[in-house]
Amino acid sequence: MKARPPTLREKKRYILASIWPPEPEPEPDPKELYGAVLEAVTSLFGDAATARIRPVVISCETGYVLLRCSRGCEKQFRIALATLTSVGERRIVLHPKATSGTLLALRRKIPPALPSLEGEDGGVQYQGKEWSARRYHGQKVDLLEKGIKGQAPLYITQDDIEERSCSHRHTRWDTTGQ
Amino acid sequence: MMETDACVHPCPAGNASVRRMALEAGALGLRAIVARDAMPGEYAGVRIIPALIISEPDIRKVSGQIRKRGAVGTLVLVDAGENGFNRALLAMKGVHIVRNICRTHRNAFDHVAARLAEASGVAVDIDLYPLIHARGAARQRVLHRYIDLIRLRSRYHFPLTLSTNACSVLDMRSPGEMQLLCTLFSLPEEDAALALSTPEAQLQPVEPVRVVR
Repeated sequence: MKARPPTLREKKRYILASIWPPEPEPEPDPKELYGAVLEAVTSLFGDAATARIRPVVISCETGYVLLRCSRGCEKQFRIALATLTSVGERRIVLHPKATSGTLLALRRKIPPALPSLEGEDGGVQYQGKEWSARRYHGQKVDLLEKGIKGQAPLYITQDDIEERSCSHRHTRWDTTGQ
Repeated sequence: MMETDACVHPCPAGNASVRRMALEAGALGLRAIVARDAMPGEYAGVRIIPALIISEPDIRKVSGQIRKRGAVGTLVLVDAGENGFNRALLAMKGVHIVRNICRTHRNAFDHVAARLAEASGVAVDIDLYPLIHARGAARQRVLHRYIDLIRLRSRYHFPLTLSTNACSVLDMRSPGEMQLLCTLFSLPEEDAALALSTPEAQLQPVEPVRVVR
């Protein structure tokens, strides 16, 4: 079949969005993610608007996802993405980072240093409980209670752990206005 | 302009520490967060404004709570109730923000309450949590309520605040996303940007000019 000339093709926009949290799996299944995105758009704008927006998940890369929509509908699409809260059973949030007319330009905007992990700790004592910890570059630490399946995570910082472990430690809090 | 999320719920109400919420807020582009029962301070360049949330059906109990627990530098947020309660609340000193308007009856915040809010400078909070998490009729009801609120605001110009009411870092949204969500109920993006800076203004209200000798 002969391809349409470029002037007759539908114009599209590509959106780069970060996936948070990047764990426990590095990236969600693209099919499941597409289902979640479609549900978010349809529930907010309805079937007719979804047909105009034409949301598509192009690829899931480490910590990022590439999405596509019709040109002129990117604002609506970004609103719908803000209402996405889970993919299957997994809590997830997509934060749009950039919009472009070409995939090439968008791929260039993917930062080389993704929210990479420093590694997983064996265990951390916090609030009198044993937790398995996942540390990120910087201060972020995600805790998951050990031994109980499906336990809700706890999101803290390295400073919180240090403050708990050493109660006499001078904290990094500044007083407002001083 | 200090973009501020007007209400977040760190530990123990939520599953993230106030520092972690401040860290995530900074990454999202917010400059301040109003955190429930937190200590005032700054972390990772994000200002933490403590919030006192009062959820009482009786106006005398609200007054008592403000006297007991209200402090300088703390934002006082009170849950809205029925019409009479809201009018009394808006005339009360020490109240900064009226929240949970979306959970009240349509007539609970009418043109008289709007005029009172404008006169007293009390802000009305727009909770984005139900817009993000609710689906179907529940979200439609909230959108309808906010459209009505924005209609009143276009006439009376009372201050607004925007909050995600995040209990987790996954519930937090960037200022851009919050502004976009506000377009769902016809709040222009520039007004939404203004609403993001309202909590800071509520802490430093404009007072009449005084002669200092």
